[in-house]
Amino acid sequence: MMQPGIKNKEMKTNRLLISFALLILIGFTACKKSEESVGQVYFYIPDGFPEPVYKFQNNPITSEGFELGRKLFYDPVLSLDSTISCGSCHQQYAAFSHGDHKLSHGINGLLGNRNSPPMFNIAWFPNFMWDGGVNHLEVQPLAPITNPVEMGESMSNVLLKLKRSSTYPNMFKQAFGSDTITTQATMRAMAQFMGAMISANSKYDKYLKGDASFSTLEMNGLQLFRTHCESCHKEPLLTDMSFRNNGLDANFNADPGRALISTLPQDSGLFRVPSLRNIVLTYPYMHDGRFKNLNDVLNHYTSGIVQSATIDPMFASGGITLNAQEKSEVIAFLNTLTDFTFISNSRFKESQ
Amino acid sequence: MFQSEQTIYYSFVLSNFIKSFKKFKMYKPKLIFALLTVLSLSIVACKDDDETPTPATPTAGTVTLEMTNVAGTANVDETGATSYINSSGESFTVEKLKYYISNVQLYNVDALVYTMPESYFLIDESDQASTKLEIPNVPAGTYTSVRFTLGVDSARNVSGAQNGALDPANNMFWTWSTGYIFYKLEGKSPSSTQTDSSFVYHIGGFKDGNNTNATREVEIDFMGNMIVNGSREAEIHLIADVLKVFSAQHTISIANINLQMAAGGNALKFADNYSKMFTLDHIHN
Repeated sequence: MMQPGIKNKEMKTNRLLISFALLILIGFTACKKSEESVGQVYFYIPDGFPEPVYKFQNNPITSEGFELGRKLFYDPVLSLDSTISCGSCHQQYAAFSHGDHKLSHGINGLLGNRNSPPMFNIAWFPNFMWDGGVNHLEVQPLAPITNPVEMGESMSNVLLKLKRSSTYPNMFKQAFGSDTITTQATMRAMAQFMGAMISANSKYDKYLKGDASFSTLEMNGLQLFRTHCESCHKEPLLTDMSFRNNGLDANFNADPGRALISTLPQDSGLFRVPSLRNIVLTYPYMHDGRFKNLNDVLNHYTSGIVQSATIDPMFASGGITLNAQEKSEVIAFLNTLTDFTFISNSRFKESQ
Repeated sequence: MFQSEQTIYYSFVLSNFIKSFKKFKMYKPKLIFALLTVLSLSIVACKDDDETPTPATPTAGTVTLEMTNVAGTANVDETGATSYINSSGESFTVEKLKYYISNVQLYNVDALVYTMPESYFLIDESDQASTKLEIPNVPAGTYTSVRFTLGVDSARNVSGAQNGALDPANNMFWTWSTGYIFYKLEGKSPSSTQTDSSFVYHIGGFKDGNNTNATREVEIDFMGNMIVNGSREAEIHLIADVLKVFSAQHTISIANINLQMAAGGNALKFADNYSKMFTLDHIHN
């Protein structure tokens, strides 16, 4: 029979052991949490992709910077009357283009003159906009923010509003070590969010890796694509980033495109070759959203080419040849370019 | 002379004077000696009150570069109350005048002696404090001219979001075609065909290819030497005449051009003109 004193001692030891074990467990869980956030990869170079242009120099992606960028992206406070956010015209379900919108309206219902481009793999883009007018990811948001028909704001006023908010100063402090909100810090947070939008997990990508097989239609479509479209829509980014006149109009007085930026007359009517990734989701098509669907696009290339002084050499003697069957095969292939994981990735969603 | 030395000298001279006064009581030389003593004392005293002490060892100093924006002989007034006349006989008011100067360099004859690192300044007529620039840590020495760029170099036009004078929030930045606006002049004139009689000149462009580079180098000779040494006040005061933007090299009339908001073309004519708007008012040593 145990003596009372010894029994108490045993209980004490047991209690000690139990609490110690609990502490270890809690500690282990806590450790696991931070392991997760340390292990979180925001940016990587997909197989076969070249080196990115934007390398996050002086702006490495952190979870705090990313979340700040995300909040800013979806915050209409960036607009003059707090009605328009970046997310208003860049919607995740449409691969961050403006779903089913030829042109977009900004504040006061004012209409822009160009189709909202999608957003993905932008760290690989040497310039932005249909005319390549923006030369650095960190100054891209300034363009829509200050455009009178988009968000209509001034950056100095945006900074005032952010400083007055109850949440932003602390978020900036967490992200950059200072609650002084500057243009540079704001732009860098947004660059972290936007730069992390990588889309490289479509059926096409899996097919290239040998992780998926194409149907006969899709295979034929890929071959036709490589014959007729590859020269401009280069793999794996599905664009060669160049500016081209693809025969849309006879004159470009309405929108000179690249010439507005380069001031060169030979650039009149040239627009940037868009990436074909997620193309099924980003209709309508072309710089002014004139084509509703992919059939209209292919019909343009086969029988709708309009000559002009600056037409791309590829179309100087007319369009490409595709019969009806071939067109449906190309479209079958274009469907394999949809990255469902990208458009459903909760990381890029508007945080509640 | 250091304080302790002065005190020693003082007491030495004084004691000598008293001694010699007693000795040569009746002699004229006493008077001369007294005068000499007073003289030497006053020299010592004067040395105490020297206003511009020059350190025995030359040390770096700060040079102040001040710009005064004028229109001919009048100061620029941004209230719109004052009208000026340009070389085409057009009457105009000024509502906004801003420009970048950068890469400030100090020369001694043909030798570049000092380039101020990170020198980007936004001169804004509506912010008088911005018209007085400090160039710190200038090595001690003699300088005969200052050179600077009117505008922003191409490297900084492609470097993304920046701080300080180059902050895009200063509204001297084309967001739709990335690049700095080097010079902004806005105002009103009856000669403008705009419905509100305004003229708006935004000048920029940094690319050498396709001839759109609007950066311009400015050199101002001091017509003399500027000495930099320690806490000596070294100041360069320049006059920038806004009338020159209409006529210094090319004739630009408001009637012909009331809007310039992109690089290339007429922007280069504006740049040629305004780069010649500076003259030396004076230097201060």
